[in-house]
Amino acid sequence: MTGPLAALPDEELTLLDLADRLLNRGVVLAGEATISVAGVDLIFLGLNVVLTAAERLAQKEKAR
Amino acid sequence: MTRRGARGPAVGLRGRPLRWLGADELGIWATEWEGDPALTREDAFAHHDLVFVLCEDGPCLPVRFGTWLADDAAARRSIDAAQERFATALDRVGDRQEVAVTLLWRDAASPEGRGHAVAPSGTAYLERRRAAHAVTDERRKTAEALAVRLEKELAAEQADVRHETCPSDEVALSMSLLARRGEAGALKARATAAVAELADVRGVVSGPWPPYSFTEELGGSPVGS
Repeated sequence: MTGPLAALPDEELTLLDLADRLLNRGVVLAGEATISVAGVDLIFLGLNVVLTAAERLAQKEKAR
Repeated sequence: MTRRGARGPAVGLRGRPLRWLGADELGIWATEWEGDPALTREDAFAHHDLVFVLCEDGPCLPVRFGTWLADDAAARRSIDAAQERFATALDRVGDRQEVAVTLLWRDAASPEGRGHAVAPSGTAYLERRRAAHAVTDERRKTAEALAVRLEKELAAEQADVRHETCPSDEVALSMSLLARRGEAGALKARATAAVAELADVRGVVSGPWPPYSFTEELGGSPVGS
């Protein structure tokens, strides 16, 4: 049994890895506020749950 | 974040002006933003493109995407609060780049559900939980061993590696390696060859990218807090 990540091509996984770094890493400035990112916050960072990927897979399943 | 004198593009996100806001020797590059600050997935990757260009020009510390500061004064205050620490981090990272290695379990079934039907009793439930913990421990040990093996095979210095084991059921290892500019491509090729030899996991090697994972070596708390 495999999860949603296993079905993704390497290119998609690379984008998820990059999104994880953009939103979870980097310098955090004192006094800053982090604003929400539509579409990106659907990706649960740390690659725990990838809703966007899962949704895409579900759509593919429906189309079959 | 760069030192004074670094060159950057004139245009930031969505074609808006990009400015360097300096406090003494260090400063941050920021897109001027008015009105609704809602960002999108496309903005995130456009941000990456901007940071990539900035880091091509010299030492650069990526600031977390989505960071918003009220005005120039707030930006300068945030840098002033930790100027020395930022400078140390910049010196340490230099103009190096990050290569990412992610290992996915080939069998990513949740340890909780592995081989068990619905628990018929309290005893069975506890037994199921115990078995799940045993699987998790085993996986964590395997993932740690994979991390050690990769670090050794890639001859990575301890200070130039960050890794997290088992961040989720599907991911065995998320590793970031720092490489000198000009050597990152070779490191990526070696990492790709190394992960191809691993039996229980599928490896994806990405980058080189700006050093997103190497800005917090001074501890887990936000730099500048």
